[in-house]
Amino acid sequence: MDNRVVVTGIGVISPIGTGKESFWDGLKRGLSGIRPVSLFDVSRYRSKQAGEIPEFDPKTFLGQKGIRHFDRTSLLITAATGMALGDASLDHCYGEEDLGIVLGSTFGSIESISTFDLEALKEGPNYVNPMDFPNTVLNAPASRASIFCQAKGLNSTVSTGETSGVDAIIYATDFLKMGRIKAVLAGGVYGLTRDIYWAAYRAGVLSGSKDSNVEICAPFDKRRNGIVLGEGAAIVLLETLEGALNRGARIYAEVKGYGSAFNPTRSGSEDLGGGVRAVSAAFQEAGLEAKDISYISANANSSINGDKMETVVIKESFGDYARKVPVSAIKSMTGDCLDASGAMQCVACIMAINEGVIPPTINYREFDPQCDLDYVPNKKREIPVRHAMVQSFSYTGNCSSLILSRLS
Amino acid sequence: MDRRVVITGLGTITPIGSGKEAFWEALLAGKSGVDDVRCFDTSHHRVHKGCEVRDFDFRQYTKNGALEKLGRGSQLAIAATRLALEDSGLEPDAIEPERIGVSVGTTGGEIQILEKINLLRYEQDEDYVDSALFLKHPCNNIPANIAKEFGFKGPNTIIPTACAAGNYAIGYAYDLIKLGRADVMLAGGSDPFSKVAFTGFSRLGAVAPDICQPFDKNRKGMIIGEGAGILVLEPLDKALAREANIYAEVIGYGLSCDGYHITTPHPEGDGVVSSVKKALKSAGIRPEDVQYINAHGTGTIANDRAETISIKKVFNEHAKRLLVSSIKSMLGHTMGAASAIEAITCALVVSNDVVPPTINYITKDPECDLDYVPNVKREHRVDVALNTAYAFGGNNSCLVVKKFLN
Repeated sequence: MDNRVVVTGIGVISPIGTGKESFWDGLKRGLSGIRPVSLFDVSRYRSKQAGEIPEFDPKTFLGQKGIRHFDRTSLLITAATGMALGDASLDHCYGEEDLGIVLGSTFGSIESISTFDLEALKEGPNYVNPMDFPNTVLNAPASRASIFCQAKGLNSTVSTGETSGVDAIIYATDFLKMGRIKAVLAGGVYGLTRDIYWAAYRAGVLSGSKDSNVEICAPFDKRRNGIVLGEGAAIVLLETLEGALNRGARIYAEVKGYGSAFNPTRSGSEDLGGGVRAVSAAFQEAGLEAKDISYISANANSSINGDKMETVVIKESFGDYARKVPVSAIKSMTGDCLDASGAMQCVACIMAINEGVIPPTINYREFDPQCDLDYVPNKKREIPVRHAMVQSFSYTGNCSSLILSRLS
Repeated sequence: MDRRVVITGLGTITPIGSGKEAFWEALLAGKSGVDDVRCFDTSHHRVHKGCEVRDFDFRQYTKNGALEKLGRGSQLAIAATRLALEDSGLEPDAIEPERIGVSVGTTGGEIQILEKINLLRYEQDEDYVDSALFLKHPCNNIPANIAKEFGFKGPNTIIPTACAAGNYAIGYAYDLIKLGRADVMLAGGSDPFSKVAFTGFSRLGAVAPDICQPFDKNRKGMIIGEGAGILVLEPLDKALAREANIYAEVIGYGLSCDGYHITTPHPEGDGVVSSVKKALKSAGIRPEDVQYINAHGTGTIANDRAETISIKKVFNEHAKRLLVSSIKSMLGHTMGAASAIEAITCALVVSNDVVPPTINYITKDPECDLDYVPNVKREHRVDVALNTAYAFGGNNSCLVVKKFLN
């Protein structure tokens, strides 16, 4: 039950780059992946942009065969999974039974469900294509990836919404700590779909959806007026420290501690308590305190209230040190990739630990008195990173904090 | 922290009866929940039967007026949670809400909301759809709404591993208590009746026209159902300290993945065998220690055959002595709730030493030759029960429930 858990592989497909190097290079350069939406028609909306992955060709990663019935979410995660396994040089160090997958995925399957359901309404229930049915179950993306990479030890999905990428990594780490398995691919995925774009737009949460607002992804900036959606897949290979050392693996970082809490108030995301409790639980488990944290990867997604509340959570949790710790929002570059975002933040922290560079918050121009921390504006910063914290919050009230550390 | 984890409260909302007593009585009586599907028009489908929960009045179970317009998945789950809490005798005020968590499984989540949206889109126009309705659809609303009804502030999660989801959620809740992350977990599953599942499984030829006959030679498929099952899990020391009624102890579980096909189970049951072996190992018991298996037993040709093969592979000679029954013969397949309701059944079996039957069993299948407790309940001492559940995508699970002996 006291296994230590480390990260030994990374697979990422994002609006700013595919593969670990390209993604990290984009983050360091402050590259924006926000562009006009091309996957579906947005002409009727005032919001027109998203962090859409340009020219994603699944055949490059998955070959020609067996992927005809995959939806975008399944394609993205299956490709990223192959990348993480390659990056970890896992080869055949473990048996099929020793490898598992835990995926954070909540929103990516919704359009597949609707497509199937609408087809049945239009054509009649006896004419709908049964091969489209598997995409309607939320565990389809993880299951498709598990078949693809023959991970037979565990196949699970966590659907806590925007926190699900981080929560999947927490779940997988617990599983490894309990000694239930030796290696787990864990992360999150969201493929951009019209359904979610439409719903978010109609709910008024997208930037530019309201009159006279400029469409801009500017976390913590005074001009922010809503989120810009993104998409992607990020997955890491987690192993027990013992297993990683035995096979001579390159170890990127250790999953040092985490905390999860819930705000059961009506609008959970505007409650402070859960965020503060999650951070405090993460400190306790990691045996660390505020001043040990070199970098916070913020949840901030350019929403007016969310970014303000996160600033308050950091101040409450970090006390005097809040003003000293660098905080940055990579969603300024990728957009809010929903289920994938937390896992992308984890990858950013892992790279920050390994290279001693903190990615910036881009599009930062106007100071907001309610957001008054060090957001690493616009330019990367070179600084040694020993312990980095990922913050993740969901619309329904989930709060998760995770600490990644350089292996000592 | 090596905590023992016990089951101290049971809550069920099912097609054959809601609440522990009514449910258990119906199970032992071999009651069937099959009837015509009423929640949507099935006239264009080839099959028309389902297991719906009738006369469900959510207002009996909620004290939070703001939650009355929730999706049915949340409503069923909140109702089952209230029943489980009342059954446990827990005084929620006596426990810090930060130490109480929720872990539930589902297949379709709030699928009825999305179906309603799609019907609006199809019959009228998307512009008639209220975005607030859409926001109620993602499945994370279910555990969130449970926490909002009762004020729970601990870990809150939903695991949508389709037809095995309840077991996955209970397994994670068990780990969270063992790891000391919570002192009470409300764990289980919920699924409202799903037109998408009904249509999809029909198109795959997996739905029976009239009744569900697990392991029978002439079985024709599953019957889609709905329901919710929630268990209260606590560490043993805390349950003893408050002199709780302990139904059973959870002593381990095992998960595995076929990695074989997105819908079809492995024909030789390889993944299933692995999940059961892992469960036995994690519980530290031998195959001979098991008396009862609550089967996945969907009533499809492929599942019941592969499941029987896998039981024989794990248990060898002992397989013939095992009692194996499928309550899906009575409840239908309640999807993500199924294995949670079945875990509740296992807790009741080990605490009462009575095994519910597999009903509608008429003709013996040479390929399914175990003791399926046909048609009539059986009094039998059961110290260890296995709750097995398998799903689309090759998600396999097995939970080990033991008679509580301090």
